[in-house]
Amino acid sequence: MKQLVVVGAGLAGLYASCLAARRGSDVTLLTSGRGGLGLSSGRIEVWSRGPPDRAPSEAPRGHPYRRVSASDLRAAVDEFRDMMTEQGLPYEQRPGANLLLPTALGALRAAALTPGSQSLSRIPPEAQLGVAGVEGFRDFSAPLAAAGKLGRRPVRVIPDLPPPSPPGHRDLYSTDLATQFDSREDLEEVAQRWSVALRGVEALLMPAVLGWRHHAKVHHTLEQHLGIPIVEIPTLPPSVPGLRLERALHLAAFAAGVDYVEGSRAVGRVAGRSRGRRADAVAAFTPGGMRVYPAQAVILATGGALHGGWRLNSEGEGRESVFGLPLAHQADGGEWTAPQMASPQPYSYFGLRVDRDLRPLAADGTPAFENVFAAGGILAGADRTRDGSRQGIDLATAYRAVRAALE
Amino acid sequence: MSQATSFAADLCIKCNVCTAACPVAAATDLFPGPKAVGPQFERFRHPSLPLPDHSVSWCSGCGVCSRVCPHGVPVTEVNLQAKARLAESRPLRPRDWLLARPAMLATLAAPGTGLANAVLQSTFARRFLQRVAGLAELAPLPPFRSTTLRRMMRAHRAQVPPAARRSRRPTVAYFHGCSTDRYEWEVGAAAMAILERLGAQVVLPPQGCCGLPLQSNGFFRAARAYARHNARKLRPFLESGIPIVATSTSCGLALKHEYRAVLGLEGEEFDLLAQGTNDFFELITSQFADELNDTGFQWVDRTVVYHPPCQLRSHGIGTPALEVLRRIPGLRLILSEAECCGVAGTYGLKAEQFAVARQVGSPLFGELARETPDFVLTDSETCRWWIGGLAHVPTIHPLMLVASAMELAEVPVLSEGRARTYAAP
Repeated sequence: MKQLVVVGAGLAGLYASCLAARRGSDVTLLTSGRGGLGLSSGRIEVWSRGPPDRAPSEAPRGHPYRRVSASDLRAAVDEFRDMMTEQGLPYEQRPGANLLLPTALGALRAAALTPGSQSLSRIPPEAQLGVAGVEGFRDFSAPLAAAGKLGRRPVRVIPDLPPPSPPGHRDLYSTDLATQFDSREDLEEVAQRWSVALRGVEALLMPAVLGWRHHAKVHHTLEQHLGIPIVEIPTLPPSVPGLRLERALHLAAFAAGVDYVEGSRAVGRVAGRSRGRRADAVAAFTPGGMRVYPAQAVILATGGALHGGWRLNSEGEGRESVFGLPLAHQADGGEWTAPQMASPQPYSYFGLRVDRDLRPLAADGTPAFENVFAAGGILAGADRTRDGSRQGIDLATAYRAVRAALE
Repeated sequence: MSQATSFAADLCIKCNVCTAACPVAAATDLFPGPKAVGPQFERFRHPSLPLPDHSVSWCSGCGVCSRVCPHGVPVTEVNLQAKARLAESRPLRPRDWLLARPAMLATLAAPGTGLANAVLQSTFARRFLQRVAGLAELAPLPPFRSTTLRRMMRAHRAQVPPAARRSRRPTVAYFHGCSTDRYEWEVGAAAMAILERLGAQVVLPPQGCCGLPLQSNGFFRAARAYARHNARKLRPFLESGIPIVATSTSCGLALKHEYRAVLGLEGEEFDLLAQGTNDFFELITSQFADELNDTGFQWVDRTVVYHPPCQLRSHGIGTPALEVLRRIPGLRLILSEAECCGVAGTYGLKAEQFAVARQVGSPLFGELARETPDFVLTDSETCRWWIGGLAHVPTIHPLMLVASAMELAEVPVLSEGRARTYAAP
């Protein structure tokens, strides 16, 4: 049994931990906070520039996909899908093509896989669409979602629907609504209150708040009582579909026997307990002080710009946060960002350069440590938002890193 | 210190990860959530001006927000300091003064524990206490006991660290805390028996209350006095390389973290104490791993839900009890998803907060109703009393089950058959 330390609790870290534990490893996952899944849509974007399975061949030089094969990518996605189905969160996928899914700004965005509740596939082409928000919930606007016309289909804007419980002392968070739906025994009554406003609507689009832990039941029951399909659109954070995915991964990790350690910040290898260019023990700061975790291999899945995987100082020096590894980045501070927020951002490409086994490289171009591997957002060379490749990179590189780490 | 805390609040990027995880915001819309009352409202709190907003008083201090923050914002610590300022600005409530001193309560009750327990079990007395003192009528309370752990284990008391022996038996110093000493000596006795079976010599160093109940009720000055006392008395043990082990997760957290991060105490003795303090399962899985591997466990044909208390999770050590519980053959182990049971120390005992606290616990109570376990395991005493009392499920420290599986303790719930139905409260 191999002792593996995974650092990071986003999609890449949690998925790598589950895979390794299922393959018989003794896995400890260290994370300083909860990962960023609660900010995500719950969808799996693999490659929006073309068919998802072509990502490894179409990605430009230096892109993380150039380090994985098409069969790695396919196997990674398949095993992820099976794992989520086991946890009661089935994903939908169209072989060889992307799905087009609605966004809160009324656009359609490509993704390779989606949780069933966000899919438009069950809506007949001629059906009258209606979009509605929820009273007291300010993080979703029905007129805004309808403005983009969802790929030129007419969408009727419906006045905000009443929430399951009467409004109270403050604006509602998406998680408040999700919890309200979870705990309502009489969803039929909720549906009844909605049905008048929904007269003539043949498919309802609404913010993704239909339950959290009991989402499948809530979604199904409401559809049954209303008699029309309901499509969920992800909202501003906290994003409930992202939280459902996070929960499913946590459950899978527990079932696989992963030791999940939250609130523990990995800060480097323990030099006195590591031979040569290896990290045989990882040091982590806890509220009580330093703790040491022995490791035969380490997978770094600490994320990119927003997630603390690397840091830049005002001198323009960038360093990876745990081991202080060198970063591939623009040295001049003026070139970190583009003038327009929506333009391609140079910092998106910052991250670790890695060898074929996903081992981060030292300044001399050789692997910094024999037994340290990197996966997910920390890898250099991709603008994930524009590529539509974020989750695909997470899954495929986690899969590849686990294979290399367990060899 | 509090300046450092507010400065760290600037690290907040408003991602709402804490809001999604906060069990109190999920339970009541009276609480705007940790991000709002923490990093956001902190900008409006000036040391010389009155606090502009009182909604922070709904914070239970469970610590989930600080633990889940991806950017290292000490959200709970910011909020606990604001809560303490709020408490200072309000008239002193005798109830809070008493709840902050569990050992004193036990001492007061000691001459007549039978009578004191009869009073606490009477509906009339509890209604009276709710009306005049604001102690929630339905909040479960532990019975007073007629003896203490320290009295029973007199031979283990040590004023100073024992001289190193040739036998190389590692020594550990047990910080039992008030509740194990006064209300649950059997937990302490079982912990000591397990440690001794694993080859340790266990001593009971001099110690006072950890100070946490005082801190939670806003009595920072009194809490600091206890903290300094403990740090001074434990220092010689730590300097002799003797680890401190705690079976009460909140006491352990106070020693490790809150003295420095909430009470703002600085000095080498506090650093030593933080680094040298271990949760019970943290200690045995790290420092007695080989001995544990050589230990046989009895078959336990039971289904249990393990609820890791919020305070344990704040240690940042994961759930080391699972590593031991997974070795017990026959045991069907269900991990609770609930972030907090609701009581959060003394929060749920207060009449004005009881309903919210029970609502905070409702995800856990729902799990128990669905899974119908034979019993619940949880490391913190206040959680055990709360869950056991409100969900009517026997609730024990996981180390009691381990001691039983090692044939070191008798656990009544293990010898009974299972014929129970539960109703979520």
